[in-house]
Amino acid sequence: MNPAQFLREGFVEIREHLGRTVLQTLGVILGVASVVATLGMTASMDARRDQYFRESGGTLLMGVYNQPPGELELTARQRAKTGLKLEDAAAIRDTFDGFDLVVAEINRNHMVRAGATGESYRITAFEPEFKEMRNLHMGSGRYITAHDMETAAAVVVLGSTRARELFGTADPVGKAVNIDGRAYTVVGVTKEMVFYFQRSDTYNPHEWLNRLIVVPITSYMKRHQEPGAERIDELNLRLRSPEVHKESRDALEQLLRSRHGIEDFGVWDRKERIDQGESEGKIYNITFLACGIISLLVGGIVITNIMLASFTERMREVGVRKALGATGWQVFVQFLIEAIVVTVLGGAVGLALGIVFTWGIMNVMQMDMTLTPLMVMVAVLSAAVVGFFFGLYPAVRASRLDPVVALRYE
Amino acid sequence: MKTLMQLEGITKVYGEGDLSVEALRGVNLEVGVGDYLAVMGPSGSGKSTLMHILGLLDSPTAGSYLLDGEEVASFSRRKLAHLRNQKIGFIFQNFNLLPKASLLRNVELPLLYGGMGRKERRQLAYEALAKVGLADRARHRPNELSGGERQRGAIARALVGRPAVIMADEPTGNLDQQTGIEILELFDELRAGGQTLIIVTHDPSIAARARETIRIVDGLILPNGQKAAA
Repeated sequence: MNPAQFLREGFVEIREHLGRTVLQTLGVILGVASVVATLGMTASMDARRDQYFRESGGTLLMGVYNQPPGELELTARQRAKTGLKLEDAAAIRDTFDGFDLVVAEINRNHMVRAGATGESYRITAFEPEFKEMRNLHMGSGRYITAHDMETAAAVVVLGSTRARELFGTADPVGKAVNIDGRAYTVVGVTKEMVFYFQRSDTYNPHEWLNRLIVVPITSYMKRHQEPGAERIDELNLRLRSPEVHKESRDALEQLLRSRHGIEDFGVWDRKERIDQGESEGKIYNITFLACGIISLLVGGIVITNIMLASFTERMREVGVRKALGATGWQVFVQFLIEAIVVTVLGGAVGLALGIVFTWGIMNVMQMDMTLTPLMVMVAVLSAAVVGFFFGLYPAVRASRLDPVVALRYE
Repeated sequence: MKTLMQLEGITKVYGEGDLSVEALRGVNLEVGVGDYLAVMGPSGSGKSTLMHILGLLDSPTAGSYLLDGEEVASFSRRKLAHLRNQKIGFIFQNFNLLPKASLLRNVELPLLYGGMGRKERRQLAYEALAKVGLADRARHRPNELSGGERQRGAIARALVGRPAVIMADEPTGNLDQQTGIEILELFDELRAGGQTLIIVTHDPSIAARARETIRIVDGLILPNGQKAAA
């Protein structure tokens, strides 16, 4: 007998005992469905998270901010060395090629007036590469440029929310803005950035980008800082590739430590956070998968039980088959393939059911569903494995039946 | 005449120690190619055990059994299964057709285990069914057939692989008299075609059709001519 013949025998047996087969597969169907639903849910949420990162500058962003050590008493000389400065940005650019974008940043609150309205807003001084780094697009006008930097031009770019607050529905480009007593001209408004993890969310994690009031860092230093200070609040960085993540971060920290004399800074690191998030997510996945695996095991036990229960009914059949020349091996393979065919069919039904589950859950969570080939593979393979292991014992028992005893069985 | 089966000093003991039962107590028997042998004896005489041993379903406790000149005691289970498939065709009192399979599939089974391809299998199964007059019943399930048809189907299954010997255990036991006679006439035809047949029965009228009859009582074959106690 070749494999195709065994398979055909298996299908015939299933067709002949449809009711029994359905009962047998229930556990496998539910087990596979919950495993598939788990995979579907995590795949859908991962896809959403990846989209968030993609829209807001990718997974390779890193930043350095001032974090003065609290208890230490510093000498005046030491104090002069500490804190992020504009030269740190230049040093990073010059020293390594692990970062393809380096953007210095200053954040201060200032009184901002436009026409009759006046309010204290946070002003952010950037270098022009911030637009590329955060994947920003212009709603109108232009972003700050290298030329603005060189000339320390009195220009400002507004986020869409700030533009609305200051100018209402009118286009602010070309209009004047007064920041802390200095006159600036609006040259552009960035396009509104919107992202919701769930369709019903009210929290837009990109909103801070819409609330930026951006001026060239050179302009800010010239107009709002004492000359020669060149102190900055933050350094925004982008890794050239994920492969250089660890070494670049280590080199960065070492460079800043040696330049500042002490560790007076903190680092935020998107890739590190994602990696941590993934390992935390794994715990949830493992919990869900464990539930699925347990129901698969229960399903497997049901299969063994039903195969053994139908055993007496099939004893005569085994006896006849052996009398006609079936070897123990052939009987074994026949029973085993039957079990595997049953569970794989159950796995296919479970896959469909699991996709329906995923769709339902994602609908409740108001998120889009993402399906992966992994789900199909896991469904079919786990079902086949369950069929194999839980079919083994009945198959061995059937194969070892003494034909004389089996034939006499009434 | 060529010898097909030769048994010498065959014993079969079931159980152990005080509880053991001797089903066969030293049986000597020779069956030639083309023989038509009836094995008679009362219930519990050991005739079923003898048939199981002859049919390689069971192995003797002691003694020698040569099938086609080969000592079968030394064979593995796998080899025995193969020999059952190739050399022996079984017919049972209760037919033992697989209930959920069509008659055709039932008849194909021995060929399936012999490793024959689907097309050839089908062809031979149809021929065997035609031989027993059931060609038009091939697609029916056993429960759609009469008792006589079922037994003729079982005969088709027994002879489809051209076995060296066909062994029947009370083949007419579950049939009415007229149908039983039809089955026996079918055996006569097979016998005329040179088929070796062994029939186990307790019915003297069936035994009368056989060319040779042996009687078995208490695990021993009675000498020729001696009447069985039953």
